[in-house]
Amino acid sequence: MHGHILKLLTAVTSVILLQNCSEPEAPLPQLSFEETLQLQLIEAEPGAVITIPAGTHALTRSLSLNVPGVTIRGMGMDSSILSFKNQIQGAEGLLVSANDFTIEDLAIEDTIGDALKINDSTNVTIRRVRTEWTGGALTSNGAYGIYPVQSRNVLIDSAVAIGASDAGIYVGQSTQIIVRNSRAELNVAGIEIENSTFADVHDNIATSNTGGILVFDLPNLPVQGGRNTRVFNNQIINNNTANFAPEGNIVGTVPAGTGMMILANDNIEVFGNSFTDNNSANVLIVSYHITGLPIDDVNYDPFPESIFIHDNQFSGGGTAPDSEPLALLQAATQQPIPDIVWDGTVAPDKQAADILCLRNNGEQTFANLDASNAFAAPSFDSSPHDCVLPNLSVISLSSAQ
Amino acid sequence: MASACWRQALTAITLLTALYACAPQAPVFHASGSPVRLSEWNLFVLSADSLAPTPAAMVFAPTNQLFTDYAQKLRTLWLPPATAANWLDGEIDYPVGTILTKTFYYPVDGEGTALQSAPQSQSLIDLRSNQLVETRLLVRREQGWDPFPYVWNDEETEAFLRVAGSSKSIDLKSDAGSRRFSYFVPNENQCAACHVTEHPDGELQPLAAIARQLGSSFDADADPALTQIEELQRRGWLSAAANSTPASTLDSKPDAVSSSPAISWLDPSATTAERASAYLNVHCGHCHNPQGAADTSALLLDGSNTAPINLGVCKPPVAAGGGAGERLFAIVPGAPERSILLYRMESSAPDEMMPELGRTLVHAEGVALISQWIAELSGSCPTDGTAQ
Repeated sequence: MHGHILKLLTAVTSVILLQNCSEPEAPLPQLSFEETLQLQLIEAEPGAVITIPAGTHALTRSLSLNVPGVTIRGMGMDSSILSFKNQIQGAEGLLVSANDFTIEDLAIEDTIGDALKINDSTNVTIRRVRTEWTGGALTSNGAYGIYPVQSRNVLIDSAVAIGASDAGIYVGQSTQIIVRNSRAELNVAGIEIENSTFADVHDNIATSNTGGILVFDLPNLPVQGGRNTRVFNNQIINNNTANFAPEGNIVGTVPAGTGMMILANDNIEVFGNSFTDNNSANVLIVSYHITGLPIDDVNYDPFPESIFIHDNQFSGGGTAPDSEPLALLQAATQQPIPDIVWDGTVAPDKQAADILCLRNNGEQTFANLDASNAFAAPSFDSSPHDCVLPNLSVISLSSAQ
Repeated sequence: MASACWRQALTAITLLTALYACAPQAPVFHASGSPVRLSEWNLFVLSADSLAPTPAAMVFAPTNQLFTDYAQKLRTLWLPPATAANWLDGEIDYPVGTILTKTFYYPVDGEGTALQSAPQSQSLIDLRSNQLVETRLLVRREQGWDPFPYVWNDEETEAFLRVAGSSKSIDLKSDAGSRRFSYFVPNENQCAACHVTEHPDGELQPLAAIARQLGSSFDADADPALTQIEELQRRGWLSAAANSTPASTLDSKPDAVSSSPAISWLDPSATTAERASAYLNVHCGHCHNPQGAADTSALLLDGSNTAPINLGVCKPPVAAGGGAGERLFAIVPGAPERSILLYRMESSAPDEMMPELGRTLVHAEGVALISQWIAELSGSCPTDGTAQ
């Protein structure tokens, strides 16, 4: 009898074992395109090339990459499209924090926030990439298109940036930068170099933005002292789109119709550019004081210095200034705003020629707004600025050879 | 006689079934690889009625927990047999093989609708009145901590590794009514976005099972009510060294200061400023610290920096875009309604809200606290903080 029970016990236990603990395994979940792509980005090994096939791929969440040495490659900026039109999570389209990163031949469209953000990375190449908000210039568009920040050795080549509600191509708090052969259109700021050092911005087209090319230095950031930027051989045309930045942001203060604006940066060389029909002013050079914002930063220099503008072509512009002091100036003179406008504020120990030198800009016109005296006595005399400054050195990146 | 035998046999079978057939097996530390199923770790005992942590693990709760769309969280800590953590620069240094788990779940009503409720301290999850969402593992391997996000299937029979994250539509009922939202399970990079506090080259670190977060008891009614640090030591999982170090020595070490017990943001005996600091530290400090991913903004909320401008007082936005909410400064003293910090906490738009990760819904209780704190701050900004 006991033997029977033992046998039975064994048998029943086995059955229970099978039933309770060896149930058929629950089926694995299926992955969508975006989950598969994100999985590839997470599991990539250094040196990997991740390809984005042709087609429009709908994504709902931010993508991110943290692995160094990865290339993301599409089939062309009009063929391989990552569309975030239905994005419901994440503040960016693609967030990269990885050295030796290359992205090329694809588009990132309609992200809810920034399109392509690259944070804290060294050796970054962005080539033939388009970032675009396809609904045009809307305040609800994301802030930045192509957005490397706190990065080093950054090449942006043959990119296209359209519709950003802050800056189309924005390089912030970075060093050793080349932005070239690119097109920025219908952004608030077309191309912006901010709190950065050693940048070459050349052979780009900036058109139909609020401001074409901005070079800024702002206070209270971990990286400041923006300087040594060359802006050359660019076409800066018809940047007259009404400012559509959300209020409260610094680019919200940029007047529509600004060709180029230099704010508080030092050692800037601007040459060989073609400025056409920028209807506030083709070039503005201002101190941070013009913003009216408080400065609570003892390490911050609010004044621009050593700005050398030479061998540029100016055509048209200044006919519809979108700024109170400029509008008053136009009303007083009944003339278009001059091509090059300086706010006229200097540190106590500086002279006009320490700030700005102008040479060989054809029939350039000039104004000093006398902003430090409440715009009381503007001057149109450029002779205090008839000087030269040393040419800045070429930025050389191995990725740009 | 025969029927008595049968009864005995049946009882024995039942016992055996419980003890042997499906009894908890020892947790398995996978030193490498990525197990596809949560069950491969043997960290839980799952039945039709409950999900219970392995008895070998310690259930714990940090003093301050991150808000995650009102999900309830059950956390466990397990160390391999015969191992123990040590103190290193005032922080707990866990041995290889340590596994932390955090299971996210919602209480549900009779119709299965999730219910919003205050944080609970359960040591198992009753599946008849709760719905499982995900279980995240943080595993200490030879080369560092590795994250593994597992998502429960609808049948609640298994959770699967979702390296690329996942989402789930949830109806959440509160006193104010019912709302449907997308609950997001983070992908592994998003795990790192919070758990790597030194951007970008730091290592993943636990955020809850750390010294300053374990200064309270898990069960205040227990006798004796040990702090969780003391409970670790009682189990022999943590050496006593740091506690025996004189306080003056601790204070002289910068790293050690951070291991002094945190104040709870819910502690009614703390000041508003202390509670606000505790709240911001746990919700923002993992990015907004001097080495964090958000140092680009110079807004530092980890408690390391007390300069008013770095806390946001009269600080203009840097790259906030629409997240600035047409407000001029992160904090306008006395004016929460004009402070960007509060705007971003009150927003649920993915490009505007803060924190960027970890929530879809607004944390009303957190908003109330920070609003009160800003309202109590004295001073003013040079302009009135109203966008022109």
